[in-house]
Amino acid sequence: MTTAVSRPPLARSSDRLIAGVCGGLANHLGWPVRMVRVGMVVAALAGGAGVVFYAWLWIMVPTADESAKRNARQPASPIAPAVSEPAAGGTFTGGRPGAPAGSWRTRFPGMPFGKEILLGAGLLLAAGILIARLLGLDVPLGTLIPVAAILGGAAIAWMQLDETRRAGIVDKTKADQAGGWARLAAGLGLVVAGVLLMVSGSGSWEQTWLALLASVAVLGGVVLVLLPWGLKFWRDLEAERAGLVRATERAEIAAHLHDSVLQTLALIQRRAGSENDVVRLARAQERELRGWLYRDPGRDSGRLSDGLQAAAADVEDSLGHAVEVVTVGDCAMTERLEAMVQAAREAMLNAARHGGGAVSVYLEVTDDAAEVFVKDRGPGFDPASIPADRLGVRESMIGRMRRHGGTATIVSSPDGTEVRLRLPLAATAGTTGTHGEDNQ
Amino acid sequence: MTSQPLGSSGAGNPTGATRVVIVDDHAIFRSGLKADLDPAILVVGEAGTVEEAVAVIAETQPDVVLLDVHLPGGLGGGGREVLAGSAPLLGSTRFLALSVSDAAEDVVAVIRAGARGYVTKTISGAEISDAVRRVAGGDAVFSPRLAGFVLDAFGTAPADIADDELDRLSARELEVMRLIARGYSYKEVAKELFISIKTVETHVSAVLRKLQLSSRHELTRWAAERRLL
Repeated sequence: MTTAVSRPPLARSSDRLIAGVCGGLANHLGWPVRMVRVGMVVAALAGGAGVVFYAWLWIMVPTADESAKRNARQPASPIAPAVSEPAAGGTFTGGRPGAPAGSWRTRFPGMPFGKEILLGAGLLLAAGILIARLLGLDVPLGTLIPVAAILGGAAIAWMQLDETRRAGIVDKTKADQAGGWARLAAGLGLVVAGVLLMVSGSGSWEQTWLALLASVAVLGGVVLVLLPWGLKFWRDLEAERAGLVRATERAEIAAHLHDSVLQTLALIQRRAGSENDVVRLARAQERELRGWLYRDPGRDSGRLSDGLQAAAADVEDSLGHAVEVVTVGDCAMTERLEAMVQAAREAMLNAARHGGGAVSVYLEVTDDAAEVFVKDRGPGFDPASIPADRLGVRESMIGRMRRHGGTATIVSSPDGTEVRLRLPLAATAGTTGTHGEDNQ
Repeated sequence: MTSQPLGSSGAGNPTGATRVVIVDDHAIFRSGLKADLDPAILVVGEAGTVEEAVAVIAETQPDVVLLDVHLPGGLGGGGREVLAGSAPLLGSTRFLALSVSDAAEDVVAVIRAGARGYVTKTISGAEISDAVRRVAGGDAVFSPRLAGFVLDAFGTAPADIADDELDRLSARELEVMRLIARGYSYKEVAKELFISIKTVETHVSAVLRKLQLSSRHELTRWAAERRLL
């Protein structure tokens, strides 16, 4: 029986006595036609079950031609549930429905037809019980019916779940582990016990406590069984929320790219002729995007390095000249340091205006001082030859640094100019530090 | 910058040209870079992914690999993975990291994986040619930003005698790093410190070695803060 891997589909045979039902069945089961026919006649004599079964098959099973056509349209036609119906309608026979049920098990091994197999097994069981009753055996129907109802309900509930949910529940309950099984069994046992108590209880007031106990048991069992479901749905909800967060993030990135990068690219295309503009735009966009990508959002703003970077960005934007800023160490911005940033800004402006090549800015903050170096590769100039009316160098850099207790040094050579600004941090108390160190 | 006499291990090219493989996932950038490089630099191979890069490098055994930090393919490790995949060649083939990224984790990760230097993609063709020759000659190439990272990582206080040699920079090395961070070229550093360019190169190589090998507590912490290790 188990060797029959592929059987011909159940279809009424063209080799027929009445409607070809027996021929088709025999063909399908691989049994001799004669045997099937004899069996059918015997079943017909046993209360007419055979007649009903035959009639039902006649109506429900297609002829071989129809079957071929239908198969062409839907390759795997699950006729099995249809065939199982007559047995449900005719619980009067014992062995007869068993034959097709047994055949499906071998014809459709594995899970896809577990439903049908279960149904067949249930029907077989029902038939067996009925026969036992007919034979005079005492079957405790009062107990069996509630049990069957519970099992049936559980089976239906299980089948309502789709594959992934089921896998999720099995996963959640750890049903593949001993503990999980015990928990599941305990829950089901409690449910069954509770329902049985309720069903068998007479309902008299004296047994209220029993009913109460039963209810508690039922509730406990239901909670135990449903808990994994609840967790599963909660997890689904969480996943959905996370997905929403991701979507929002993505939308934000898209919006940012649209507002910045795409706009800049459009501008660059329009001004492709002007090299200076293109460089300036690309540079500004690069700086902006870099800041957006690499800046640590958790970092507190208002640091000295931020101020210096902002000043450099300002110079880049206004003069279209690259300013590279390297910072080592950092500290919170103060009024004095703000003055140093302004002085550095002036130095950067000078370097960008008069120097060639990239302007290098280096900030180093140690425990006792903050230093800024601004270097360019211009032709250089003699600091001593600056006219007195030129406020840029004399006032904005040297004077400003001195007023805040710092120093400004300008070193210039034909290879380039470097402005060195130094502000001692220890003297934070006196914002108008008077101890002027030698400048220049 | 003729540092060829130093390149004892960069031998194998009798013509004197430096053989280079360019690894970058953007074909436009590769061709642009190829056009920008000196005629004395011979591009013998190109690659766009980690796997391609490892294969091409093993096949051509170039003097220098210009390696983009961010690369598709492999396990997602980018340039670091290429370096790991080419580990047997690290003695003869030098790697120069090339990136648009200024992020410390990108830069320091490739240096610690074995790259001999790091430059940004925005530098000019002449500068990059110079960097290639320098790396081929066995020197390290430090951009101001990389020098800044080094100073950040090792701290700006000079080494005590008691300190482990690998864990801190000597006073001279610190001076050199500071000047490079300020935008000085090696020549300018040499002039400023009254030492020879050769000595500057020695200091820079020593710093590179420390950066690659040091397991110093602060460096580890510094790297961990930036998720480098």
